[in-house]
This record gives sequence, structure tokens and C-alpha cells, in this order.
Amino acid sequence: MFKYQFRWDTVWGSFDFLMGGLQMTLVVSAATLVLAMIGGLIIALLDMSRFRVLRWIGISIGEVVRNTPILVQLLWVYYVLPIVFSIRIEALVALIIGLALYQAAFISEVYRSGIQSVPKGHVEAAQVLGLSPLQSFRRIVLPQAIRMTLPPLASNFVQLIKFSSLGAVISVSEITRRGMELSASNFRPLETFTFIAVVYFLICWPLAMAIRLWERRLQAR
Amino acid sequence: MSGTPIILADAVTKRFGTHQVLTLVSLPVMERDVVCVVGPSGSGKTTLLRCFALLELPSEGRILMEGTPISTAEPDRQIKSAARAVRSEIGMVFQHFNLWPHMSVLENLIEAPLRVKKMRRDQAVAMAEALLAKVDLSDKRDAYPVRLSGGQQQRVAIARALAMSPKVLLFDEATSALDPELRREVLIVMRQLAQEGMTMLVVTHEMGFARHVGTRTVFMDRGEIVEEAPGAAFFDAPKTERLKRFLQQFEE
Ligand SMILES: Nc1ncnc2c1ncn2[C@@H]1O[C@H](COP(=O)(O)OP(=O)(O)O)[C@@H](O)[C@H]1O
Ligand SMILES: [Mg+2]
Repeated sequence: MFKYQFRWDTVWGSFDFLMGGLQMTLVVSAATLVLAMIGGLIIALLDMSRFRVLRWIGISIGEVVRNTPILVQLLWVYYVLPIVFSIRIEALVALIIGLALYQAAFISEVYRSGIQSVPKGHVEAAQVLGLSPLQSFRRIVLPQAIRMTLPPLASNFVQLIKFSSLGAVISVSEITRRGMELSASNFRPLETFTFIAVVYFLICWPLAMAIRLWERRLQAR
Repeated sequence: MSGTPIILADAVTKRFGTHQVLTLVSLPVMERDVVCVVGPSGSGKTTLLRCFALLELPSEGRILMEGTPISTAEPDRQIKSAARAVRSEIGMVFQHFNLWPHMSVLENLIEAPLRVKKMRRDQAVAMAEALLAKVDLSDKRDAYPVRLSGGQQQRVAIARALAMSPKVLLFDEATSALDPELRREVLIVMRQLAQEGMTMLVVTHEMGFARHVGTRTVFMDRGEIVEEAPGAAFFDAPKTERLKRFLQQFEE
């Protein structure tokens, strides 16, 4: 790199434009997380179902989602779903559905390991005292499992902030997309994408650090 | 011995797959009995207690409570409903305490009375406080289990079991996970319960407890009851070679 004339002012000039994109990034990530938490619960329940067909469905969803690229899934939801169901899907909706499906497959595992982290002896103690299986799940297993799943769910939020940049491909106006548009008009990709990378980092890194501390404190219990 | 046992194992055999862990074990526990069970590790003591606690089903034989069958290999409707009715009258104290870590000591104690017995909260709290006083932990009422020593946790676990007013209390090596200096405080509580007339079935390595507190001691080896005798006779006049050899380990 020789004698490059930095023009950061081209970025500052569009600061509000980019921050608007950041807002979209965060909204998409939060909405997706909520949807993925619900989807993950459904997949986990399917996985643990007494009925073979339901278990099979749950496991299949998980395997397909985990073994295909997220970008392909996103394109599939955006371009194929509308054809199959002959409906129109907004890019934003497609992004949220696609990401949520992907993340739900992982979150179902988070739930499962949260439940499995509760020692069998705690449940047996409840059983001997006369609590019903449902009571023991609600009062003994769930509160402990939830505590274990919170940090991984927060990590999923951080992941979603990064994954939501894929929305750029289907023209969802989040921060990466706006960066692409900006650099196409100001011809300053270096400043623009460096700035955007720094924004992502400043949000994701402190969150990731905080989660690591949180997890360590839970382990120590 | 007369009357109906509080709890009775009737020719219980237990297999895990092809591995036979209990063979035709028959053991009655009468009211106010303190039956101690000793034996080498792996001899099936825990499995026997778990059958009594309805945590395992016998492969053959039955468990009866006050004459009513509550567990068999394939329990029918009647046995299942009998089991549900008496389940909380059989208390169990585990080697690793198994307190619920997300609940305070008081909450651990009142959970089952509130949910299972539908006791009023103020009543349950009053009873829990009385039990905590009994195990000498009144000051730990609002503490969480992680803040307690092992000995304190086990005393809370005993109080939690007592909160359901069980007719019999099962102890599975209640002091084995504790440092020697913490065992005494738990043994003192157990002895006190025995003196108050609690019916107890105690799996233990504490020979002093078995000799001085137990009304009867049973020796298990390889899934069978090999020998049993009341009080000191068990230790002073062992009949079988296997028991003699087992007891030798405990002499200095
Ligand atoms: N759930 C289980 N599955 C298979 N084997 C078991 C199970 N529980 C206990 N066992 C076996 O049964 C035998 C007796 O175990 P246990 O009742 O714990 O003996 P003890 O309490 O006298 O040490 C051991 O060989 C153990 O490996
Ligand atoms: Mg054992």
C-alpha cells in the first residue's frame, strides 16, 4: 500500500445512512433470535417426542440445516419458497425466516444439553419426595436448564449479528448492504468496509467477552 | 418379630441386562427398626435401596409397604396406584445429597409439602423451620446449598426427607462423600432419629453406627444376603467365613 490518500470524510458524510443500516442489523438479529428460540423449542420437542415420525422430522430438519450452507438456505427461502407456495415474500421476511431456521437447529441442541446438564440425582430426589414427572420438570429441571442456556443463547445473538450481513445478498438494507451501496457511489471501499468491520467488531467483541465471563461464573457454581 | 413390616422386599431379584445384581433378597423392616446393610462395594446395596425407593423395578419379586404390594417387575394398575399413594412415605437420603441448587435451604424443604401434600405455605414454612432447628441449621434457612459444607448439605437433605413425614427413611451411604470430620454431625442426627423411633434402613460403612445404633445388621455380598444378626451379635459372633473376612478389614 503506497501513498494512499485516506478519505474518511466520505464515510462520516454517510454516517447516519450507515447507522440506519446498523439499526436494521440489530432489529433483524433480535427478531431472528426470538423466532429461532421458538423454532428451537419445537425442534427439541420433536426430537424428544414419543412418536417415531415426529422424532424423524425433528432430526431431519436439524441434519439438513446443519449440513447445507446458510447462504444457500437463505437464497432458497427467498427464491424457492415463493414459487412453491405462490406467495410474495419480502426480502426482510425471507432473511429472518432463513436465519431463524438455521439458528433454531443449533438452539435445539442448546436446549437439549441444558436439560441434560441437570444431574439425574436431582430428579430422583424429586421423584422420591413424590413430585410428579411434570412437577419435577417444571420446578427442578427447567429452572436449572434455563440458567445454563442463557449464555449460549446470547452467543447465538452475536452470531446472528454477523450472519445478518448475508441479507446484503438479497438486498435487505442492513449495514453491510448500505456499505456496498455507499462504496459503489463514493468509490471508497477501503474506508467504507473498514469502518463497517470496526462497527461489527465493537459490538460483537465486548458481547463475546461478557458472555465468556458469564459462562465461567456459571461453571464455578 | 411380629406384625406387618413397614416395608418388605419379598424375594427380590434384579438384573441389568444379563448382569444379575440382586438374587432373591428378602428383607423386612419392622416399625422402629434400624436395619443396617453392610457389604463390599458392588454387592448390590444401592440397587436394593433403589428398589425400596421405587427408583428401580425388581426383575422378580415384590416390594410391599405395610402388606400392600407397591412394586413388581410388571406393576399392574392397582400396584401403580398403591405406589403413587405411598411414594412420599418412603424417604431417601442420597450419598451425594442431591439438594436442588437453585433453591434456598427453606425452599428445598417446603417444595414437596407444598406441591405434593398441598400444604398451606405458612404451615410448611413453620414445619421446615422446626426441622431446621432439629438438624441444627436454623441460621442457614435462606442460604443456598453451594454455600454449605457437605455435612450441612446432608443434614438439610435429611430435613427435606423428614418434611414429608415418611414412615421409613432409607440412607445410602449418607456419610461416605464427607470428610471424616464432617461425618459426626450427620451421624449424630441419624442416631437422634433412631432414638425417636424413626424406622430406618441404612446402607453404611460406619461399623460403629451399625453396632451401637442399629437394631439389626445385614451383610450383603454379590447380590445376596449372606448373614444377619441383631446389634452387637453381628460383630462379636459372625458365623460365615465371608462376614468374618469382611469384618477383619475394619479392625486395626
Ligand atoms: N443402572 C445400572 N445399569 C447396569 N449396572 C448397574 C446399574 N446400577 C448398578 N449396576 C451394577 O450393579 C452392581 C451393584 O451395584 P450397587 O447396587 O451400586 O452396589 P453397592 O451399592 O453395593 O456398591 C454393580 O456391579 C454395578 O455395576
Ligand atoms: Mg452403593
